[in-house]
Amino acid sequence: MADASIFAVLMDGIFLKNFLVVQFLGLCSFVGVTKDVKSASGMSGAVIFVITMSAFVSYFLYTYILLPLRLEYLTTIAFIIVIAALVQLVEFIVRKFMPPLYRSLGIYLPLISTNCAVLGAVLLNVMNEYDFIQSVTFGIAAGLGYTVAMLIMASIRERSNVLYVPKAVGRGVTYAFFIALIMSMSFANYFKVIPL
Amino acid sequence: MGDNRNVASEFMRGITKDNPTFGLVLGLCPTLAVTTSVENGIGMAAGTIFVLVGSNLLVSVMRNEIPDSVRIPIELIVIATFVSIVDMVMEAFTPAIYAALGVYIPLIVVNCIVIGRAEAYALKNGVFYSLIDGLGVGTGFLLMLMLIGGIRELLGTGGIKLFGIQLVDFVSMLGYNPIGMMTLSPGAFLTIAVLMAIVNYNRILKALRGA
Amino acid sequence: MIVAADVMPVLINTVSVLVGLCIAVGAMLVIASKVFKVETNPLVDEVASLLPGANCGGCGFAGCAACAEAIVLKGAPINSCPVGGFDVAKLIGAVLGQEAVESEPAYPFVRCQGGNVNCTTLYDYEGVEGCKAALMICDSRKGCTYGCVGLGTCVRACQFGALSMGENGFPVVNKAFCTGCGNCIAACPNGVLTFARDSEKVHVLCRSHDKGKDVKAVCEVGCIGCKKCEKECPAGAIKVGEFLAEIDQEKCTACGACVAICPQKAIELR
Repeated sequence: MADASIFAVLMDGIFLKNFLVVQFLGLCSFVGVTKDVKSASGMSGAVIFVITMSAFVSYFLYTYILLPLRLEYLTTIAFIIVIAALVQLVEFIVRKFMPPLYRSLGIYLPLISTNCAVLGAVLLNVMNEYDFIQSVTFGIAAGLGYTVAMLIMASIRERSNVLYVPKAVGRGVTYAFFIALIMSMSFANYFKVIPL
Repeated sequence: MGDNRNVASEFMRGITKDNPTFGLVLGLCPTLAVTTSVENGIGMAAGTIFVLVGSNLLVSVMRNEIPDSVRIPIELIVIATFVSIVDMVMEAFTPAIYAALGVYIPLIVVNCIVIGRAEAYALKNGVFYSLIDGLGVGTGFLLMLMLIGGIRELLGTGGIKLFGIQLVDFVSMLGYNPIGMMTLSPGAFLTIAVLMAIVNYNRILKALRGA
Repeated sequence: MIVAADVMPVLINTVSVLVGLCIAVGAMLVIASKVFKVETNPLVDEVASLLPGANCGGCGFAGCAACAEAIVLKGAPINSCPVGGFDVAKLIGAVLGQEAVESEPAYPFVRCQGGNVNCTTLYDYEGVEGCKAALMICDSRKGCTYGCVGLGTCVRACQFGALSMGENGFPVVNKAFCTGCGNCIAACPNGVLTFARDSEKVHVLCRSHDKGKDVKAVCEVGCIGCKKCEKECPAGAIKVGEFLAEIDQEKCTACGACVAICPQKAIELR
């Protein structure tokens, strides 16, 4: 059990160690889905759900099956199976209840299973030795941090559609990285949160 | 499936046309995360090459037996197996690099390059060429990591240190004051954004000349 | 030394945990797929897979999936997709058992001759780039408020890279890339761009509704609404309304009489 308050875990996940702009986890969707705010927010919602549920399930899997049987080396494989299954489940649910969102997310919904952010979150839970409450909080915090960064990026990209951009930069990946540069300078972990 | 392909051309394609960072634009997460120094970049690339070659081989061997509906989970499990091996080997034999890379070693599982090549190449080609393709793309990845790692380490710490040997040291040579930000996250975005802009500019120039 | 007795229990544990996990996950997914089943028409899926997938909206529907649904379930014509063109229409027709009819492609066409050469430029515009913005802020930076502003709103609207801004202030269409989706035509705030088939030979290259004197003050080749073309046309295809001549392409025989008589040289025979 790590010595960190819930507040510290939350701040850590959302701002100090923001998954997208500080830890570089989940960049493919960061530059891919942020062309407009609607798809960015849909993607973020799905990611928050998947990360939280994965943190939930993987905590039990790790603590009660892998650790007691001394099978820590199976962590990666077991976690990826769990995440792939949860993403498939989310895909079923979204397809049934929110078809327009399903269509607008397109290929990016099944791609959440290979999103570094989800696997990164559950692995970091194990590495930081968080207990149950901390694990789930960290999962939610990671998802929220992802959402914050995605929404900022999508808003900037949406509005900058009318601005002049040099041809070499274009309006795609390169442009997104220049915006991410400025965002990461504001998010970077230049300060610590004192545990309460 | 051209008949005019050979080992050399397939290998070079992984470095030039199918370059992971600028050609395929895949695997950006580890490219930015581990390039705080050239040494870390080489360590990560070595692990990724092993996983890439192994998964390409295994997926190519099994390509006719995998049912389409469970294709992705099976590829993920194959890749995860190789990654677990790399994880344990690095923890045992190169503890310094293992500690520096941290969570990014198991994250090779979800490195888009590995699953991307498995989907795009290993599923449709024979064992031998899948192996060559894995080596080619892996080498391209290695060169990219060394390039970006070199820039960030040089500008960020003023010198390049490889396996304990200080190769260059601008601080003492030129009195250079290192820009610490380059080894942190903003430096990564800056480096890759500028490099991509340069590559785009070259492409546009080439297209204009060709047109 | 690796002894079998040490390895066996570990092996059994590993295999049983992995197999157990896979079975549990598999069972959960099978149940979920039954519970959250969505009824889809396999025909709609097949047609959707034939469409290009660019989701450009050129068909008038909200993306390729909606277009496939409209074609199969709501009777939209099988050549609805301008991007896919005749080839895709043929494939869809094969799936649905319908004949595809080849139609002549239409490309964007600029109905203005002003540009940098013939039309006066009033302001040096620097700001948010776009014809729409320039129109809103200063009523177009050029002398004629109806003509092509030349700032590239249409160029940016094109998803396929078929438009570029030419040197003389007009957009240039690359027919190889143009898919006929119509985004540029919708984007142009002055309606200067329109679809034109190659078989439509005669066009009035002006959109200005200004009186003749005002047109001549800013543009050397704009339509002044003198009605000489209307009198000359044997087919009655060209009519002048509000100081602007417009051609009905259905009636036009491309005889070129209006082209010759126009004092402003505002009509073109391609």
